[in-house]
Amino acid sequence: MNPQLIQLIMFYAFGAVAVGAALAVITLRNSVHAVLSLVLTFFSVACIWLLAEAEFLAIALIVVYVGAVMVLFLFVVMMLDIKMEQVREGFARYLPVGIIVALVMLAEMIGMIGVRAMGLHVMGEDPAAAAGLSNTAWLGHALYTQFLLPFEIAAIILTVGIVAAVALTLRHRGGVRHQSAAEQVAVDPRTRMRIVKMASETMPTETVPPVAPSQETSP
Amino acid sequence: MITLAHFIVLGAVLFCIAVAGVFINRKNVIVLLMAIELMLLAVNINFVAFSRFLGDVQGQVFVFFILTVAAAESAIGLAILTLLFRNRSTINVAEIDSMKG
Amino acid sequence: MFDQFWTHLLLPVLYILAIVVPLILAVAMFVYWERKVIGWMHVRMGPNKIGPLGMLQAFADVVKLLIKEVILPTNSSKFLYYLAPMLALVPAFAAWAVVPFGEKMVLANVNAGVLYLLAMTSLGVYGIILAGWASNSRYALLGAMRSAAQVISYELAMGMSVVCVLVLTGSLNLTDIVHAQAGNKGFFDWYWLPLLPVFIIYFISGVAETNRAPFDVAEGESEIVAGFHVEYSGSAFAIFFLAEYASMILVSFLAAIFFMGGWLSPLQGWITADAPRWINWIWTGGFIWLFIKAFLFSFLFLWFRASFPRYRYDQIMRLGWKVFIPITIVWVFVAGLMKYYGWVTIGTGA
Repeated sequence: MNPQLIQLIMFYAFGAVAVGAALAVITLRNSVHAVLSLVLTFFSVACIWLLAEAEFLAIALIVVYVGAVMVLFLFVVMMLDIKMEQVREGFARYLPVGIIVALVMLAEMIGMIGVRAMGLHVMGEDPAAAAGLSNTAWLGHALYTQFLLPFEIAAIILTVGIVAAVALTLRHRGGVRHQSAAEQVAVDPRTRMRIVKMASETMPTETVPPVAPSQETSP
Repeated sequence: MITLAHFIVLGAVLFCIAVAGVFINRKNVIVLLMAIELMLLAVNINFVAFSRFLGDVQGQVFVFFILTVAAAESAIGLAILTLLFRNRSTINVAEIDSMKG
Repeated sequence: MFDQFWTHLLLPVLYILAIVVPLILAVAMFVYWERKVIGWMHVRMGPNKIGPLGMLQAFADVVKLLIKEVILPTNSSKFLYYLAPMLALVPAFAAWAVVPFGEKMVLANVNAGVLYLLAMTSLGVYGIILAGWASNSRYALLGAMRSAAQVISYELAMGMSVVCVLVLTGSLNLTDIVHAQAGNKGFFDWYWLPLLPVFIIYFISGVAETNRAPFDVAEGESEIVAGFHVEYSGSAFAIFFLAEYASMILVSFLAAIFFMGGWLSPLQGWITADAPRWINWIWTGGFIWLFIKAFLFSFLFLWFRASFPRYRYDQIMRLGWKVFIPITIVWVFVAGLMKYYGWVTIGTGA
């Protein structure tokens, strides 16, 4: 078997899993199962990116999405007590519309992009390997030279995102006793405790209660 | 062997599934958010494929930025969702109508 | 035909088995060693009945766990309940693919090895979350939530400390990282010296990441019984156990590779004598050094468990977010300065 055929088989396998899992995302009744299907979609798409030798983005997709964003989704879905019957009303009513719109869109898109013309582009040599670099280095060189400003802006967006998310969900409940770890750690014994110097006392011998003399006679 | 068409068709299929998801799950904000993630993923597949076939790094750089922005977007989206659920105890889009004019 | 079959299928499977089988045995002996060490620290005997010095105790426990019934709680999600242990185990084992044990002794010498490791460690949280949710139990869910938040928080500190190593090395390949620590100043060439704070943070984060004492609030038996795996029994529980110990050993190996020179000898460059090969490794380096270092690190896990009381949950989060992450971020800058001004020698040549 030549490696290109194996690649093609892998592509179809991962693609089928991705499409099947994506269908499960939008149809499953249980939100937790839907989130997990989305995880599977991301995972198979990462594998497809690996086939395209975009190894940095494939692993970044797993680290960022599967490792962090989807866990966040799972958290929210598990913590919120969602009544599924109410949320799913209208599912059957909108199903035909959804299918028709999706199919028409798909037909239009595939017709527009011209599958036959695109099918002529065979995957050639990896551009990063042609430049004598690994994919990560190839991407990194572009990111830190040509795209430095957008890169910094992306960092600012992430900072704004974390601040906004924390600010939105932060809630101070009254009437609850809170512990302030910072105060606890910053405790200084000198402010809490007074050490009094005093002379050591010697116990007067008279006040000691007399020990009852033992009854036995020593042998 | 894999051609450009393979990647683009896969992207198109995933995108259309996401659009269908928006249509049939109109009430559930969580599934709506997930459908948006799916759309962005479909777009990313196209970017990666074009970058690979044209030998141009810009496509992959753009995917990097999309991943960044989408991560921030879903974090804020979920924060708003929890806030909504805390205040209204529902995530049904149809019931969030207090600003109906 | 057979040639292709051999090189493409059979040989990789044999390589994988050559890693996985010793790993499982190591986990068994590590469990025995843990009970023995903690026993000694508590002035007890530890297991001493089965086999010489009780060394077969772990295997007896495995047999016991495997023949016990796996109980499925009522109203639990059956598929996810059985999937969760697998999801915990697979990343813990898959991460070993890129770990180099010695010169050219690595299953997959990939360029993006460190990224792959980060991806695998970030997947481990799914097993815990799903186990907690699928069990349909309050304690399990609480443990899963605690554990997931803790693992994600400490992953940041861990990732940032690895970034310091990457800044100095300039490569994501684990073999390159070890080569960059070669030199002729003995163990002063390794990264623990320029990256000392980060090294300590890396290891403590590793302890938190694997949910071990003193950060074991996820299963804190005195608070929430056993956390996320409270409902698991028999072989399903054994798999969680295996995954936890495999990740502990992994963290020990990675600490040795990232900061302690991997398979390099602490005497490198100090002795240059010629000797037969079975003595030579003491100063030229060999996989035995890596195993010794990893053994010492894994011993620390046991020492921590025997010595420290459990952290309170808010203290854990505070430590991760307010102490570790800022320090590692500052140290990334420091590492950049070191690299820029050439304060640290990278590799033998440069």
